[in-house]
Amino acid sequence: MIAADIISKRTVTSTASATAQKQKIKVNIVVCLKQILDPEIPSRDFRVDSEKMEAQRGGASLVTNIFCENALETALQFREKFGGRITALIFAPAGGEDSLRKALAMKADAAVHVINDGAAHPDPLAVARVLAAAVRRLGNIDLVMVGRESGDWGVGQTGGLMAEELGIPSVSFVDRLEKQERGLLLHRQTDQGWENVEAQTPLVVTITNDDQNLPRIPKTRDIMLSSRQPIIRWSLEDLAADDAGIDVAEIRAGGGYYRVVDLAIPTKEIVCEMVAGETLEERVDQLADRIMSVVRSL
Amino acid sequence: MLDNTLDSEATRPVLWNISQSWLLYVMFAASLAIAGYGLYRRVMAWRRGQPAARFDQPWPRLKMLLTHAIGQRRTVRERYAAFFHTFLYTGFIVLFIATMVVMADHRFGLPIMRGAFYLWFQSLIVDIFGALVVAGTAIAFVRRLVHRPRKLVLNDESLRILGLILLMALTGFLLEGWRIAATADPWGVWSPFGYLVARISSLALTAKSMELAHVITWWFHSVLVFGFIAWVPYTKLLHILTAPLNIYTARLAPSGASLKPLDLDRLAETGEPMGVRTAAQLTWKDLLDLDACTECGRCTDVCPANTVGKSLSPRDLILDLRDLVRAPQAGEPAGITSTVTAAAPDSLWQCTTCGACMEACPVFIEQMPKIVDLRRYLVMEESDFPETMQQAVTSLETRGHPFRGTQSTRLDWAEGLPVKTIGEALDAEVLLWVGCGGALIERNQKVVRATAQLLAAAGVNFAILGREEKCTGDPARRIGNEFLFEMLARENVETLNRHAVKTIVTSCPHCFNTLRHEYPQFGGSFEVYHHSEYLAKLVSEGRLASATPLDQTVTFHDPCYLGRHNGVFDAPRQLVQISSRRMVEMERRRENGFCCGGGGGMSFVDEPAGQRVNQERAREALKTGAEVVAVGCPFCMTMLEDGINARRGERDVRVMDVAELLWESVGKKA
Repeated sequence: MIAADIISKRTVTSTASATAQKQKIKVNIVVCLKQILDPEIPSRDFRVDSEKMEAQRGGASLVTNIFCENALETALQFREKFGGRITALIFAPAGGEDSLRKALAMKADAAVHVINDGAAHPDPLAVARVLAAAVRRLGNIDLVMVGRESGDWGVGQTGGLMAEELGIPSVSFVDRLEKQERGLLLHRQTDQGWENVEAQTPLVVTITNDDQNLPRIPKTRDIMLSSRQPIIRWSLEDLAADDAGIDVAEIRAGGGYYRVVDLAIPTKEIVCEMVAGETLEERVDQLADRIMSVVRSL
Repeated sequence: MLDNTLDSEATRPVLWNISQSWLLYVMFAASLAIAGYGLYRRVMAWRRGQPAARFDQPWPRLKMLLTHAIGQRRTVRERYAAFFHTFLYTGFIVLFIATMVVMADHRFGLPIMRGAFYLWFQSLIVDIFGALVVAGTAIAFVRRLVHRPRKLVLNDESLRILGLILLMALTGFLLEGWRIAATADPWGVWSPFGYLVARISSLALTAKSMELAHVITWWFHSVLVFGFIAWVPYTKLLHILTAPLNIYTARLAPSGASLKPLDLDRLAETGEPMGVRTAAQLTWKDLLDLDACTECGRCTDVCPANTVGKSLSPRDLILDLRDLVRAPQAGEPAGITSTVTAAAPDSLWQCTTCGACMEACPVFIEQMPKIVDLRRYLVMEESDFPETMQQAVTSLETRGHPFRGTQSTRLDWAEGLPVKTIGEALDAEVLLWVGCGGALIERNQKVVRATAQLLAAAGVNFAILGREEKCTGDPARRIGNEFLFEMLARENVETLNRHAVKTIVTSCPHCFNTLRHEYPQFGGSFEVYHHSEYLAKLVSEGRLASATPLDQTVTFHDPCYLGRHNGVFDAPRQLVQISSRRMVEMERRRENGFCCGGGGGMSFVDEPAGQRVNQERAREALKTGAEVVAVGCPFCMTMLEDGINARRGERDVRVMDVAELLWESVGKKA
């Protein structure tokens, strides 16, 4: 890692910070997870369904999105240093439980599964609304940590939209955070280098990857024990019951925030041409002309 | 002097010149008590171990005992030991018998120490074997003090033991000589070395002074002998007792079946460690292993990791474990595994599980399974293992194969071939188990292609699992993730049984070993062949014939999991011999084959430059002058191809699987 080009200090203040400060309780963290298609399948196995506008599952496994795992790892390291309680939260179909089990094996304290029985890929606003409602329902959350973006669609908006929905500030691209006497010190990556940001809770943080937050390999014992731990399951109706912001029908339909109009795998075409010519010089000239014509046509 | 009339009366006085001989029995009782206490301590320590079923099948065990404990077949493999140990070992036995004869004759009144038996055995043979003991200790001294081979532990205990033995033997000769001289023993010449002492002593000493020297030396000699007996359980001399016991209780199955299953559910329930954390998790046989070690260093000498200069030394690991187990707290609270890894953090992750250490051990210590036991604890309880191995494990978990980032699929190798999956060919007699190494590493796809084409050419009705196939779990198990291994094994067994698979042919010796030895534990019993065995069978049945043998010199590299771990040495060689005109052998071959460096999860680890096992093996292969290095394993293929390419220079040397060789010679190209 090169030294930071810019280290600036900014202060983000939350209006609701006073309560958390007063209570002086341990930091209550929610880490949001997303399950995606294994991004490491051979590229020739990757196909898209242009009817449904989504990637075909094929034989690929579902895995927890890497940035979400970075977020969980960052939370675990924070808890090891400063204490706290970590709840893993996912909005996914039944199979999403695997990601929660893994989070429990990595030693998250609790797990909440909001069952998605609607569209396979709801838009970021719909997801943010559901997750925000779940966070509100959990109550007393100081810190929401999400991956900076998902490895499938890569939209990267859920974190920011969640903050908006929750009415609290957000800091993006964080790779480390520490508790200070007052609030948190966040280390974030920018295009120019690093920034240190002071912030008060409650807060949404989007986490990016770094050498420091490679997800840990859970211990086998913890994997085995995680299968016996309870998981809280909520339906969309459960959330809607005490949250006016949730429109169940709209979310089941995938939200209305944006629409995918086309989905295709970029094709690469390789054409081999032999350059004609009697002598080497002729051939080189021909080649140069051909290159120039290709360049001009671009 | 050798005439027959004298022979019949021949004998010697027992306890000549000795009074107060009852003291002898006091000393004897004391030494037995001290030795007995030491032995009792050891036996009680073994009894605290976990159970292990090692007293079944008495006949094969007795045969092991005769061959390896009495017959010392492995001990004599080494040039030095063949002499020095045989001299000491046989000398001790003969001298022990001689002492019994004296006791029977003198104490129990059996008149056996008489006549021809006295002269031939009790005098001549015993004298010669006594001299061999002296010669043996001399050889051992020279080896330890002059040659000082790297593999020996050059500590003072060994020298003290050798010194004691030498002193016992030499004082024995002095006593015999002085008695012969002082009593003018008419049969003295039957004890040639004693007689020599007698003649020399007579030149310098009077009979009176010899008598005095005799009585002093006699008591000194007795103190030495009884001291020796008392000392046995407290030094590596303990092997006199533990080695035969360890050999009797040795593993009878091939070494490929040496890893023991764990009851993980029970361990999760009780909170007991998964794998070995402290001495409490070792079996009594593990503990006996530690006490059987003679510190000979052969395991370390043949260890591929150690050979290329890495820190792993199976012998030191065994001795470290022994010392930790014997320490009062047995490694608590840190645990023996943490203590061992703290001392040499990388060592446990250098083992290729090739099993050369176990094959070399004259007393059948099982080093490799202990390394895996320690790994199990570190992997399953601590998640403390090399990152590249972690990646392989994670890939196994999510993708069912260990090769992160491969761009191949399980079916790419068969492109253009009329290969059917088992779902499409329900009548298939043979399942071709492709293996991850065969399917997902491009170079090995050619090997599987050649194998499939050979099977088709021979008219074998075979099918594959295709996308249903998953890693057998071999790398997970050897890395130490027993949990993951069990999951993969159960899944594969379920798939294989669902398709009612009976016969499996595979070109991967690791899959072969796991399918053959480890799946029966999960309810999967199949007839499993390595492709070399199955192809050799097809050749011998006349279903495949070599038309144009390759006009090149070929050497064959034994894959550990085919050769040493499963005893398949000849089938791949038959294929090489019929596929090529000339075959040469490497120095280290068959049981003593040298690992390619890829087993035990090591193919997922970047070895430091200058310490690469594959290059050491490539060096040896190139030394034979061979133009083709034949292999029979996808891991050996990649390891040796890398090694050969790094070392061959201008030479044109190819690495080929035996199936590719056969396919070429059958007249086709893969």
